[in-house]
Amino acid sequence: MRIIGLKDHEVDAALRSAGLGLSVSEARSIAESLGRDPTIPELFSYDTMWSEHCSYKSSRATLNEFLHTEGPNVVQGPEEDAGIVAIDDEWCVVIAHESHNHPSQILPNEGAATGIGGIVRDVNCMGAKVVATADPLRFGDPYGKDKNHVRWVAEGVVDGIWQYGNALGVPIIAGDVVFDDSFDSNCLVNVVAVGVVKRGEIIKSRAPAGAGEKGYDVIVVGKPTDSSGFGGVTFASEELREEDEEANRGAIQIPDPFLKNVLFKANEALFQLTRQEGIVIGFKDLGGGGFTCASSEMGASAGYGMDLDLDLLHKASEDLPPEVVACAETQERFMLICPPELTPRALKIYNEDWDLPNVYEGARASVVGKVTTDGRYVTRYRGEVTCNVSIQHLTGGIRYDREERPRVVELEEPEISAPEDLTEILLKILGSPNVSSREHIYRYYDTEVQGNTVIRPGEADAGLIAPVRDEKFGIALSVDSNPFYGRISPYWAGATAVAEAMRNVAAVGAYPATLTDCLNFGNPEKPEAFWEFRECVRGLADAAKALWLKGYEETPVPIVSGNVSFYNESPDGAVDPSPIIACVGLIDDVRDAVTMELKRAGDSVYLIGPRFDELGGSEYYRTVHGVTGKNVPIVRFELERNMIYAVIDSIAKKLVISAHDISNGGLGATAAEMALAGRSDLGLELDLDAAGSDLPADRLVFSESSGFLLECREGGEEELEELLKGYGLDIMKIGIVSSSPELVMTCKGRTVLLMDLSTAKKGWTAGLSEAMR
Amino acid sequence: MKIAVIQFPGTNCEHETLVAARSSGLSGELFRWNRPAEELSAFDGYIIPGGFSYQDRLRAGAIASKEPVMDALREEAERGKPIIGICNGFQILTESGLLPGLGGINVALASNVMVSKGEIVRRGFYCAWTTLRTETPARRCSGSFILNKGDLVSMPLAHAEGNLVTADEDLMERLNEEDQIVFRYCDEGGRVEREFPVNVNGSLESIAGICNPEGNVLGLMPHPERSSFAWQLPPTDSAKSAGDMTAPGPGRRIFESMKRYIEVMR
Amino acid sequence: MKINLRVSLKIPDAEAATVKNTLRRRMGYGAVLEDLRRERLWSIEVDDSVLDPESLARRLARELVNENKESYKATVDSIDFEEGYVPVKVGLRIEDGEAISAQKRLRNRLGFDMVRSVERSSIWKLSLRADDPERTAGEIAERLLINPHKDFYEIMR
Repeated sequence: MRIIGLKDHEVDAALRSAGLGLSVSEARSIAESLGRDPTIPELFSYDTMWSEHCSYKSSRATLNEFLHTEGPNVVQGPEEDAGIVAIDDEWCVVIAHESHNHPSQILPNEGAATGIGGIVRDVNCMGAKVVATADPLRFGDPYGKDKNHVRWVAEGVVDGIWQYGNALGVPIIAGDVVFDDSFDSNCLVNVVAVGVVKRGEIIKSRAPAGAGEKGYDVIVVGKPTDSSGFGGVTFASEELREEDEEANRGAIQIPDPFLKNVLFKANEALFQLTRQEGIVIGFKDLGGGGFTCASSEMGASAGYGMDLDLDLLHKASEDLPPEVVACAETQERFMLICPPELTPRALKIYNEDWDLPNVYEGARASVVGKVTTDGRYVTRYRGEVTCNVSIQHLTGGIRYDREERPRVVELEEPEISAPEDLTEILLKILGSPNVSSREHIYRYYDTEVQGNTVIRPGEADAGLIAPVRDEKFGIALSVDSNPFYGRISPYWAGATAVAEAMRNVAAVGAYPATLTDCLNFGNPEKPEAFWEFRECVRGLADAAKALWLKGYEETPVPIVSGNVSFYNESPDGAVDPSPIIACVGLIDDVRDAVTMELKRAGDSVYLIGPRFDELGGSEYYRTVHGVTGKNVPIVRFELERNMIYAVIDSIAKKLVISAHDISNGGLGATAAEMALAGRSDLGLELDLDAAGSDLPADRLVFSESSGFLLECREGGEEELEELLKGYGLDIMKIGIVSSSPELVMTCKGRTVLLMDLSTAKKGWTAGLSEAMR
Repeated sequence: MKIAVIQFPGTNCEHETLVAARSSGLSGELFRWNRPAEELSAFDGYIIPGGFSYQDRLRAGAIASKEPVMDALREEAERGKPIIGICNGFQILTESGLLPGLGGINVALASNVMVSKGEIVRRGFYCAWTTLRTETPARRCSGSFILNKGDLVSMPLAHAEGNLVTADEDLMERLNEEDQIVFRYCDEGGRVEREFPVNVNGSLESIAGICNPEGNVLGLMPHPERSSFAWQLPPTDSAKSAGDMTAPGPGRRIFESMKRYIEVMR
Repeated sequence: MKINLRVSLKIPDAEAATVKNTLRRRMGYGAVLEDLRRERLWSIEVDDSVLDPESLARRLARELVNENKESYKATVDSIDFEEGYVPVKVGLRIEDGEAISAQKRLRNRLGFDMVRSVERSSIWKLSLRADDPERTAGEIAERLLINPHKDFYEIMR
């Protein structure tokens, strides 16, 4: 394609008519580096590799500036498809976290399913067994102006997740769902996958040492390449406009959990063979950017080149142009780099033992080329060289320094006179789409497959699995982010997401071992959106630094994996800043973990975390008073750290037998949920005066300042109080578990809340199914 | 005593099923669907585990039931060897006619329909813990060999097509009379109800599991392998944190039954 | 008056491919079955007083068809099939929860008051190299496409 010698507007027109997203200056720099006009396939390869999705061109500098990705337990930071931290001397946990927002808005079912499908590949290709997933979801207002479309998207996304995850056989053990009108035209579908692998059996996503010198084979495994997903990464790097929907559809990938299930088993057979024989291989999934991205990154990260023949790749049809073969995002594919002597046995595993050609029409494993030493990325098709570029230049990407400008929003606190009785208010909050029980959704998810599940959705703040038989350790998983806080303060939204995800795993007794961040924002070319992004990253990084890795002072909890999703924006505006955090917690013995439901009448209940007048973005302000407010909850880092450590220690010492963190809906919702989970046959009597605050009762009950409610083991009160004092925490013995199924709260000698649990349960369980009907 | 856990493409519960079988003292291995079928005769019993064989295409179990390995299993069943089908395994056994085993196909496991007060309140996939009431006396069936009539067993279920229906008007009477209804869904106290949530998928007579006339082939929708260790139980069950990591859960009794059946029948 | 929406996938139909493969590889139809395709059929009974059924069909399709991955043909009352294959309709003989839910959603949430009932089925289009293609199609339906305890089938011509 001609670039050299053309005027800017001519280059621009040529790029657009070819369907390329590259800018004119990017195209010129490519031509300059080649010393000639690039071919069309070369331009598409650069388009893919230099997209926001693959190159992090807008975000990289900010991420490097703020995030701590190293730590004493880190085995592998964010440099590959997934991050890895040590569980003990032998086992490691592998985690990856991505978004699949744009495709899910257009084709909710396939989009969300492909999200799960992609993230489990990222974990599997490290040599790990995928043992859990989590799905943070954000949908528009189910009662707003786009309610029918919002519900169509929500239903399709949930269907896509269960249809894929259940069939694949990986339990979904955590997640959250938030409805907010900023997501009316841009849903967020984030996906998290967790795996386990032995430290000595990790497989790298790069060509092994010696691969170039010895001419290792490059093998593509899986579905036949078709045109699906062509342009996918470019699509994820632009704003959604309705008139483009038809064009965007081609960018949708088509998932197949059944083929993936068989591929995973064949992969395991291959991994076992290479372990037995001590053969080092490179293995990587074909995700965003397809064949080009996987092959160029595997070569470049080892300092090698690639010589690949697209004719040898198995395809769904023979009439695909070379740039489509190279850059389509056909799902359910992997790339293997191995010594030639392994090749026949590898092909047999896929093509005969696991019979890929009969499992899926046209699926198989094919040798497509060799690793070279010359540093060139070469592809051939129908006898011609279609691409011949410097592999380092192609994968090196580019960087942009985006402009930032604080977003100015007029915020104020509402004037509210405290109501006499809080019962109706709490009932309304419990029935709201964002606080009500998540049961309607999680009953669609197979939370039990693999037989490892110890704590399921709905039982506690985090899910917990015992992923390795004959081992006692457990992996806890939680996700969090509050868009309403993000609307007020991106910084505190970032910090709170980290703190709450960590509180969630602490509430089952696990210590936070690592974090991942999936950062969902609007268009970074707009200075306000870029400022929001930077503020969120600063906030979450500050929290990770201040809430030290347990057992290591002044050592941040490492962030080992993540993803940036920009352009979550339509002509109606951008999504609320959404730094979605996942936290992996570890516990030595899963039998020591606790859940949230009340255990025994007569037990003492303790409040941890003083209540503050910070109801900005709270469920009380929004659902009951229809306002956002201004005073967003902040994270008091030292207090937060002491609370988290105290809860972990008190569970380990078996002093606490139920725990639940305070978040959306405040102390009131937290107390109600502890009573409503499980059999709902025990109640709570709480004396708010014990909170030692002069806030009015409504603010005490509905403030979303961080904290916990803990049920103390009978006779353990003294020891628990000593432990809490040791962490400098106030002792707030706020009530007891009662044998009557009701929630009672008194304040200054007056009953301010008296709620029958069976009434509450109806609204609490119906809230979400009504919002999604 | 060696059993084979059959893997079809799309099966996804084979590993935990093998672990659960081993925890009851059985030995065994995974058996890939395209291995030579004649190798099957070397085993003393068979489990078809849960999952989505062929992605439930057409309808759950329909495609897998046409695989040659099922013909070989039919021969082993005629020799009296025990076969237990769990979830998708149950679906495959009904589609292949092995259950209820009256010649031809006698029932269908249709899409779940959750009915409460006469209204459909939910459809589709559902995952939850349930309680099963044993409806047959001990020794009637391979997979409930050591369970007595009235015994309650809790375990999770997770399926989209478990609603047992039949067009044969006399079938229910016959299954009842011949003691082929092995498990019914019930509440924690053992009470069977017609409607959701106790009858979780709309099955006729709340049926959760049936056997063939000879009793050696059992199919059930819920997953005993997910309830074979105490730590797998829900938190409201006080047995959850009792004992060590090997402490048994209620579902293990299905595998112990199979083992006892093999011992007695040999 | 009955509005029929015949819906086919624009993306590859993995279910049809699996069924075809099973019939050919496992059930002895390798020489007989040349091709097999699948459509979904929505048959929607509406009030006879509806004046513009074509436009109603388009509005219904917007709710029942996902045009990002499916295409559809709408007809009123009759359905005409192209030459070259035997169309086999397979539907549920037991109560169809999904059809009931669709009907409720159309009437109650989306305001299609004129909808009386909704039926849902699959059309399997079999290209057969056989002396009596309809008899062979019936045999294939009974041996694989239906479970008679929940499904019925009907050769559509």
